[in-house]
Amino acid sequence: MNITDREHLRALFTKPTNYINTNRGDAYYRELYKKMERRLAELRAQKPVREAEMKFEEYLKVWELTRRDFLKWVSATTAMLMLPPQFEPLVAQAAEVMNRIPIIWINIQDCAGNTEALLRSYSPTVDELILEYLSVEYHEVIMAAAGDQAEQNLEKAVKDFDGKYLLFVEGSIPVGMPEAFTIGRHPKTGVEHVKHLAEHAAAVIAVGSCAAFGGVPAAHPNPTGAVGVMDVVKGKPIINIPACPANPANITGVVIHYILTGEIPELDSLLRPKFAFGYRIHDNCERRAHFDAGEFVEEWGDFGAKNNFCLYKMGCKGPFTFNNCSIVRYNEGTNWPIGVGRGCIGCSEPNFWDVYATERPIADSPIQPPAGRGVESTVDQFGLGVLTATAVGIGIHAVASALAGKKDKEENKEEV
Amino acid sequence: MYKKVKRMTVAMRIIHWVNVFSIVVAVITGLYIAHPYYQSMIAEAAAFKYVMAYNRWVHFIAAILLDVTSIAVAYLYFFSRFEKPVKKLIPNAQNIKEFVEVVLNLLTLNRRKNFDSSHLDSFNAVYFTILHILLFLMLFTGLQMYVWGLYHGTSSIGAWWPWLLHVATDWTLWVFGGAHGVRVAHHLTMWIILAWVAFHIYYQVWRTIFWREGDIAIVFGGYKFKKAR
Repeated sequence: MNITDREHLRALFTKPTNYINTNRGDAYYRELYKKMERRLAELRAQKPVREAEMKFEEYLKVWELTRRDFLKWVSATTAMLMLPPQFEPLVAQAAEVMNRIPIIWINIQDCAGNTEALLRSYSPTVDELILEYLSVEYHEVIMAAAGDQAEQNLEKAVKDFDGKYLLFVEGSIPVGMPEAFTIGRHPKTGVEHVKHLAEHAAAVIAVGSCAAFGGVPAAHPNPTGAVGVMDVVKGKPIINIPACPANPANITGVVIHYILTGEIPELDSLLRPKFAFGYRIHDNCERRAHFDAGEFVEEWGDFGAKNNFCLYKMGCKGPFTFNNCSIVRYNEGTNWPIGVGRGCIGCSEPNFWDVYATERPIADSPIQPPAGRGVESTVDQFGLGVLTATAVGIGIHAVASALAGKKDKEENKEEV
Repeated sequence: MYKKVKRMTVAMRIIHWVNVFSIVVAVITGLYIAHPYYQSMIAEAAAFKYVMAYNRWVHFIAAILLDVTSIAVAYLYFFSRFEKPVKKLIPNAQNIKEFVEVVLNLLTLNRRKNFDSSHLDSFNAVYFTILHILLFLMLFTGLQMYVWGLYHGTSSIGAWWPWLLHVATDWTLWVFGGAHGVRVAHHLTMWIILAWVAFHIYYQVWRTIFWREGDIAIVFGGYKFKKAR
């Protein structure tokens, strides 16, 4: 990390407040409703990016999703976007006109885990359907094209939808060693790839912790000099959806918001949408009562673990992590890390692999003093060292004073 | 013949003992918060025993007491009617000479004592200032961790409180590199303060023994004794 990155981080961190206003008054919502209606009418007037293959209703039928499943999803998404219930018809319509928005999805240094999270759910979900229904022009993991054909598709999409498409980036970008990632028949490095595509995009959405903050590839010693999208792309709206993997609900939430308003949602200081990352896991955790009570799991499989005690002493980083997993959960609300009885590893926070994923409390994790990275000592060991050094110094001085110290005698002259 | 010298006012002594009490309490509860070192062996439902919650509450009360005394001390540094410590911090020739002489007095095991020990000396003024800087560091990193629980931007006393905390403490995220760094800095500063306390107590006892001016009595009665010439 160089000083410019820090400066960048400082600017991001230094915001006066993260106040989330969930009730902005009738006048505001009436105005917003009209604005969204206009936007949807515009989109409906446009042709779908690809000439109507299937209508949304047909998709629902093919995927064996009932109208009821869809309406449940609409209600949940409306609530997640912090919109009042009267916006539900608009959210439903937004889903239906989604095929008007072209999307390009690229993978840099990653494991395709965010794509997998979207695709490999236990049954077809509405979120997954949205990905299918969205006009995805280029997606390295799921597209049929390969080689020259794939490159042609990409270039055609960039030309046809210049300034209109949403660019989804998955994976970190190796700026320190650009040759570490190349792709295509006419090889391009990840840095060139992202810069080129971001230049022509309407907005860039960094999906997953790698694309947002560098994630696992950026962990110490970060051999490829991996960074997130926001460190490479300048002058474009960027939305970070970190977490490992990013929650599909948050991805569709951002897309729906863009379709409804043509704008990116309200972001926090790390460019994460507030509707999703405006919560601390710890504050909405189902085990919070056990934390306050001082009831902790001491080791795996003990009495506490069997009784869902707090996982803080097993290294849960919920107190440091901002995300909505504790509310939305994963796989259509099936479960989430703390729910299955293991701690949070802070996967949606910057540097998480180095500082949070230690599986023990921060007090017991190795710290890295600026002078010597990788020093294996905890804060307490280091602090006890400081205290011991002080005690040794005091001891030497005390013994020396006792043996050779000079006490002021009555006859001693003092110079004043 | 000894002369009685007033060294601490009642207010200064109250501040001193409030600080002592608060630091001890904050260390005991803070270590529990960092790594709960005892189990709450109380046969009660989780909803009724607030072991961690009470530890945090006591920690916050100790912190608030320290914050209040810090503000009072910062004021007294400049505007005290008794003795303005800031005057001893200005790096002029006189203060630098006094600082060096006090250090030499300590290092030569009281064989050399070329300064006036009847008032606050430059060495102690600097040493006390280090503590207050450390306490301010604790204040800012602590309040930064506190405001994470108010991430929604509101509190029971209004939105101004988290707003103020963000404005006042968000720089710690930049300096220490995110939430983890702030947490580690807060914990590490505790150890530095403990080392500070160890030397402080030793030095005051040492002065009492070797100077024979009753320095240790200052913090209890406010007076020490200086040989009249």
